Amino acid sequence: MIGEPAQRGARRVDRRLAQRLAVLLLSMTLIAGGIVSVGAFVDVLAPGDAAADTAPLAMLPPVRIPVDNPMSAAKVELGRMLFFDARLSGNASTSCASCHAPQMGWTHHDPLAPGYPGHRLWRNNPTVLNAAHFSRLMWDGTLDRLEVQARSAMQAPVEGNGKAGIVEMRLRLVPEYVDRFHDVFGTEWPRMEDAWLAIAAFERTIVSDPARVPFDRFLAGDARALPEAAKRGYALFNGKARCIVCHGGPLASDEQYHALGVPRQLLFDSSPLVQVAVRWQNAQREAPRVLYRGGGDEDLGRWYRTRDPADIGKFRTPSLRELRYTGPYMHNGVFATLHEVVEFFDRGGGDAPNKSPLLQPLDLDAGEKADLVAFLESLSMDTPLIVETPELPPMRPLVETVAAQCSRDEQ
Amino acid sequence: MKRRTFRRCARAALSLLALSLLAPVATPTASAPESIAPRLEAVRRAAPLDRARLELGRQLFHESRLSGDGSRSCASCHAPAHAFADGDALSRGYNHVGHFRNTPSLVGLRLKSRLMWDGRYEAADLKKVVAEMLFSPVTMNGDPGIVVERVRQLPVLMDAWRRLHGVNAPPTIEGIVQAIADYAGAHDGGDTPVDAALRGDVSKLSPQAIEGMRLFNGKAACVRCHSGPALSDGRAHRLRVPENAEVLRDPERTIALLQHHANHGSPDPMAERSDTGRHAITRRASDRGRFATPSLRGVARTAPYMHNGVLPTLSSVVEFHNRGGGAGSELQPLGLDARERAALVAFLESLSATTAAGEAPTSHDYATAAGAGR
Repeated sequence: MIGEPAQRGARRVDRRLAQRLAVLLLSMTLIAGGIVSVGAFVDVLAPGDAAADTAPLAMLPPVRIPVDNPMSAAKVELGRMLFFDARLSGNASTSCASCHAPQMGWTHHDPLAPGYPGHRLWRNNPTVLNAAHFSRLMWDGTLDRLEVQARSAMQAPVEGNGKAGIVEMRLRLVPEYVDRFHDVFGTEWPRMEDAWLAIAAFERTIVSDPARVPFDRFLAGDARALPEAAKRGYALFNGKARCIVCHGGPLASDEQYHALGVPRQLLFDSSPLVQVAVRWQNAQREAPRVLYRGGGDEDLGRWYRTRDPADIGKFRTPSLRELRYTGPYMHNGVFATLHEVVEFFDRGGGDAPNKSPLLQPLDLDAGEKADLVAFLESLSMDTPLIVETPELPPMRPLVETVAAQCSRDEQ
Repeated sequence: MKRRTFRRCARAALSLLALSLLAPVATPTASAPESIAPRLEAVRRAAPLDRARLELGRQLFHESRLSGDGSRSCASCHAPAHAFADGDALSRGYNHVGHFRNTPSLVGLRLKSRLMWDGRYEAADLKKVVAEMLFSPVTMNGDPGIVVERVRQLPVLMDAWRRLHGVNAPPTIEGIVQAIADYAGAHDGGDTPVDAALRGDVSKLSPQAIEGMRLFNGKAACVRCHSGPALSDGRAHRLRVPENAEVLRDPERTIALLQHHANHGSPDPMAERSDTGRHAITRRASDRGRFATPSLRGVARTAPYMHNGVLPTLSSVVEFHNRGGGAGSELQPLGLDARERAALVAFLESLSATTAAGEAPTSHDYATAAGAGR
């Protein structure tokens, strides 16, 4: 965890210690007392204790702006254009917005999005919404900056399949881009590195507006912002359901990696394109075959980053903000609704070799589950965040581009 | 910044001026002292390739799922019906990336000593050429790892692979590239009337074509460069073929041209305006505008002609050479009359066999192979 504030790191260590203590306590109780119900274990932590060493939900702070990519209106506007511009992909078919569609919560409604033509992705693609607030990106925390993610997604064969050299030349034959890059970055010709800076700057504006999020209005003191069901859900979230243990802080995510035993995505067995993608990902990341069951047909999650067998099947805790718009859910998109997600956690999750001990059956009744869903929905804006699709300037013959550039410089 | 811009704008103006004057450049000839006069040679048949190897190559050659978006196969540009070229002046390239050169025919590939219009590969590097075509964003924009995994998902291809490599051998990108190279190099254009004539049987050549052959070896001096079994000396020459204006008119073709210059170390790719041929590879001033001598086997089927496809017919090619090429060309005017030019065309047309080659396999779908990963 590079560049993380020391205080939070310390808190994490404390929490791990607390988890170990809890497990120890449980085993001691089991030994001493014989049969102990799971409900009794939940009582050990709940209701107050679970939240005690966990960051409470809070309003999002202002987005952190990296020193090497300061914001400006012109840069954000250029980034918006590039975000929607399919010419950044190999065959000019696929823009960032193809898989991160504003009208689909800045992600995609397919459990596994199509990606570049002739492909299908292996994971549910994460939303751009509030991605700017995460310290690491992707389900396995592989990337650390939006700038790097933009580059990675544009070039990955299954996503944008755009080679930087060709895409850069395309941008250079769009006179309006030549002008805009010149204005923002001061360069004679557009450069690919600058395109990624602009896209990242634009993405840093795609964040929840607290004034439009019922729960944030509630936190700000408007008691009527939440319906009663959501208020009851909030109490469950912090108490009996213990969601807060992992889903704390402004993002409602501990930014840690956990194995939940999420059910297998059936497309892994039925879709040839998904099978190609999964095997390719494993080969790319040099996953030794001994580690996966069927020979490269599984997603090893956090393991790709750490190479620690104890991390196989762990994925980053997602933010719970804007869930109303960002389904389907989980790293493989296997759950279509929030009800299914709550049911899954109520069961205590599924089976996995490294499954988190934090997941235990919750014993929620139907009303409590509905309350929890009502609360989760209150973490989303009243209406989805939509950004207008820009009209994109055309490529022009090179002679015209140069002529325009020369006449601009004369002025 | 301002100064750089000024320099560029000034340079742009100058290069326009230069273009309009078509200033001839001093032309050192490429011919080295040779002990043996160049001549035509009959094709010696190669030992036939293993059937399993050819079949795997044929399947892969026609498989569009080797390309990034699954839309372009080798055969998309190297179509068997066009003597493994495409019939277009400029290659179509990948989707929304145009090309700036004419697709070269693959006929006679194994007989050539250098490959590509700028001769940047030796004949022994055919596998490198195949890999470049598969993975370059200008041609198929594929990915080696994806290619392997897609092949695994295609039972017909896996069957062909296993027949060649054995049932337990997993597909590899090296093996895939090798099979395509083997197939691409397996087309000599059949037994042509000229091959028969070179073996001593002139019965298949018309009297006009026999006259053309005499001119080819004599007055027209074609054989000076179009020699050997491939009818190519494997060298690069400056003919001063007219520019194909489409390259600068169509931005998608221009990006491919600029990217080509950038890839090969041009100090200022954005200032490049034309295909400089061999020069982009060697960066020797004397190589500016030089392009590799193409093979003439099957030439009647590979129209349009020249590195940028600007000459539509064999007659126009003969006319061009008869004029001595463009201003500043290495060529000399030939003084051929209309009858002689027609005879040369007749000879060139006799360099094609009547048999067609390279039938496309039937298409087939991906399988959801439970065992595909194993």
